[in-house]
Amino acid sequence: MILTLNRMGRGRFVLYAIAGATSAFLLLPVVFIAFLSFGSSQWLQFPPPGWTLKWYEVLFADPRWLASMLVSLKVGLCVMALSIALGLPAAFAIVRGRFPGRAALHAFFISPMIVPVIILAIALYALILKLGLNGSFLAFVAAHLILALPFSVICIVNSLEGFDISVEKAAIICGATRLQAIRRVTLPAIRLGILSGALFSFLVSWDEVVLSIFMASPGTQTLPVKMWTTLRQDLTPVIAAVSTLLIVMTIAVMLVAAFLRRRIAR
Amino acid sequence: MPALVFLFLFLVLPLSSLFLVSVTEPSLGLGNYAKLLGDAAYGRVLFNTFFVAGVVTCVTLVIGYPVAWLLAILPARTAHLLMAAILLSMWTNLLARTYGWMVLLQRTGIINRTLIDLGLINEPLPLINNLFGVTIGMTYIMLPYVILPLHATLSGIDPAIMQAAAITGAKPRQIFWRILLPLSLPGIGAGCLMVFVMALGYYVTPALLGGTANMMLAEMIAQQVQSLLNWGLGSAAAFILLAVTLVFFAIYVRVVGLGKRS
Amino acid sequence: MTSLTKNAVEIHHLVKRFGQVTAVDDVSLSVADGEFLTFLGSSGSGKTSTLFIVAGFEDPTSGSVEIDGRSVLSVPPNERNIGMVFQRYTLFPNMSVRDNIAFPLSVRGRPQNEIDRAVAEMLDMVRLGSYAGRRPSELSGGQQQRVALARALVYRPRLLLMDEPLAALDKRLREDIQQEIRRIHRELGVTILYVTHDQEEALRMSDRIAVFSHGKIAQIGSGSDLYERPANGFVASFVGNSNMLRGRLRGVSERMASVELADGTVLHGLSDANLIHGTQVEIMVRPERLIPSSSRAGDLTSLQSVEGTVIDVSYLGEAVQYEIATRWQQNIVVRNDSRASGLELGASAHFSFHVHDALVFPTQPSAS
Repeated sequence: MILTLNRMGRGRFVLYAIAGATSAFLLLPVVFIAFLSFGSSQWLQFPPPGWTLKWYEVLFADPRWLASMLVSLKVGLCVMALSIALGLPAAFAIVRGRFPGRAALHAFFISPMIVPVIILAIALYALILKLGLNGSFLAFVAAHLILALPFSVICIVNSLEGFDISVEKAAIICGATRLQAIRRVTLPAIRLGILSGALFSFLVSWDEVVLSIFMASPGTQTLPVKMWTTLRQDLTPVIAAVSTLLIVMTIAVMLVAAFLRRRIAR
Repeated sequence: MPALVFLFLFLVLPLSSLFLVSVTEPSLGLGNYAKLLGDAAYGRVLFNTFFVAGVVTCVTLVIGYPVAWLLAILPARTAHLLMAAILLSMWTNLLARTYGWMVLLQRTGIINRTLIDLGLINEPLPLINNLFGVTIGMTYIMLPYVILPLHATLSGIDPAIMQAAAITGAKPRQIFWRILLPLSLPGIGAGCLMVFVMALGYYVTPALLGGTANMMLAEMIAQQVQSLLNWGLGSAAAFILLAVTLVFFAIYVRVVGLGKRS
Repeated sequence: MTSLTKNAVEIHHLVKRFGQVTAVDDVSLSVADGEFLTFLGSSGSGKTSTLFIVAGFEDPTSGSVEIDGRSVLSVPPNERNIGMVFQRYTLFPNMSVRDNIAFPLSVRGRPQNEIDRAVAEMLDMVRLGSYAGRRPSELSGGQQQRVALARALVYRPRLLLMDEPLAALDKRLREDIQQEIRRIHRELGVTILYVTHDQEEALRMSDRIAVFSHGKIAQIGSGSDLYERPANGFVASFVGNSNMLRGRLRGVSERMASVELADGTVLHGLSDANLIHGTQVEIMVRPERLIPSSSRAGDLTSLQSVEGTVIDVSYLGEAVQYEIATRWQQNIVVRNDSRASGLELGASAHFSFHVHDALVFPTQPSAS
């Protein structure tokens, strides 16, 4: 250990205090929202005067909320599939390719992570306005895919770099064609990378706010857009209910991811 | 390669045409850029942006360093709990977290009420719809981005180096200042540059926690394009932001290296 | 040589360049059916590149590779009917031991009962029958390489290539598996091309050894050929330990060369090379061929001797090794049976050796 805790004297209590305070700071809004979503106060009083489920009832009674969730889910799944479909060959080219400019290609695929989202948003906004595609499924998917692609490329490149190409060569010398070797040996070996790439791609799409605001039309909204437009009007506790559901989903995804990683890495 | 075609159509093409807009609308030339850099009102926006990004970077570093350090030296079980808290906050929906801060910081929010109840203040403090609210919200959101690279660097340092320093007679304080801190500089650089660059172009949190009086750059870009339909000025502002971002990213690559993994 | 001979592999004038670097420089050799041939050399000597060209993972710049008299350069690796064991563990991590071994037959579309029978036979051969259901990550390195060997042999390939398969294993395990590979070679009679940088391993296992240096074959022959009759100074110093005594050529008659050392001592040795009078040469004597003797050996016999002082003694179990400082400022190494009467540190002694145990080579260009 870097400096053993019990050798640090009183300094360690300072560290503990900072860690405790930081955890509290990080969890404060998360826990707070969860509490409020069950509170009966329309004005978000804390502590709430009483407990209720009515904000969840309002949420599930409103077809617009449900519609926006459905749009988010569809877009997310579509982005996830396309992100892997495009990212997989790209990652193979980056890792296996022997052409000049390979590093530049890698940088290019990751570049959307560097460009501030607001810039991508207005650039795409101009494009889809020209094409008359605002509010279309295609606009959402294309916009989200730009942000999701670097994640699948990074995940797959990392696992592909960790995969010893001799194993694929061994399969070929055993009599497998290149395609057979990739399908039966390489892809199964890098499935953890593909899976994380898919998961990240979905989450990127599911959570994306800025691009979605610009892609949306009053008729078609993803869940974050619906939250955004609602938030700009008032701080209704319905948002607390939605947020709580999203937090529960986050925890579920974290647990599933931890479980999968432990199982597959075995 | 399909990915290449896709990125060309939806990244390169829109960005290039946006650049064209910035130098052709309303008239050909660099008028938009001159206006942005010359006008005091826009200068104010640029100042706000850099100021908030700078403060957020410093605060996250000061809070984040001890946390990253603890993550590296705590017993595994406790460290996992702390890490889970960090990841949970990081992965929770951005709007959900921002909403939480909107509620916490509002005039009738829990912070103001508590302070009034304690008799510390008579009138609610203006915690939201100003740069203070933006700074709180952004610090909260950026904190994990400084903790994680720092943690990676700190846990990559061979503990035997510290032991070697101790056995040669260095006191813990000396070990920290003369060994640990210099060795963790790459992590500090990586974390700070990442937070600073992200903060420069951040849109959501300033838009929700900030006020109309003190805008930041990303808000201004959106406003110019969406509400004022002033595409020329909006896209020029976008390219100023992009240029600044790329400069800092170049520094990042210099300091940390690209895609290097520990 | 024509395709009528029983050679399994024929390599003619093979050249492989990577940009400016010539990795393989005009290599020609033939491998007899059922032979165990080893490519021995340090890293970068071209041995692995040659093997990878035979496997089909690299294309040669020029030259030809024939298997059973047919050129295979246009045949993709998966159709060459070659088995290969790699330096790193290359088991398919997502498959059990059984599925790993079954893989080559499965991609060939063989019927399931035949696959089962062949896999069971192979598991038996590498003595891992009880591990069939395990994952590669649950095996030790030695077990993994035995599975890799089974996988490479299950489809009865024409030729087995092994690229430093034991490099990652520790010494004891390495020797066990060397024995196992020898046994399997005897039982199956498969032709093996083996690459190693370990000369002891090469001597232990091979029928013949090709010593690679700078992309060329320095010598090809049996282990005793290389040890007793090295073709040049490189092979002499690379295979086994040797003393290379530096001197100047005084004269050659028949195959016998006389060499004058720095202090004026004149020694004789055999030479096949074309030596030029007055040039720098080296006399090679193996450490175990130097016998301590109380007095100077007579000039009339075929024995000759050198004199020196013992400056270091190392006890090695089966042998004792002495380091001797000589009058011509060059230390030599002497190795003797440990039961022979020992020499004390600081003792002065004569060491005699037979003229036929001394070989004279032109001095190698210093490689540093």
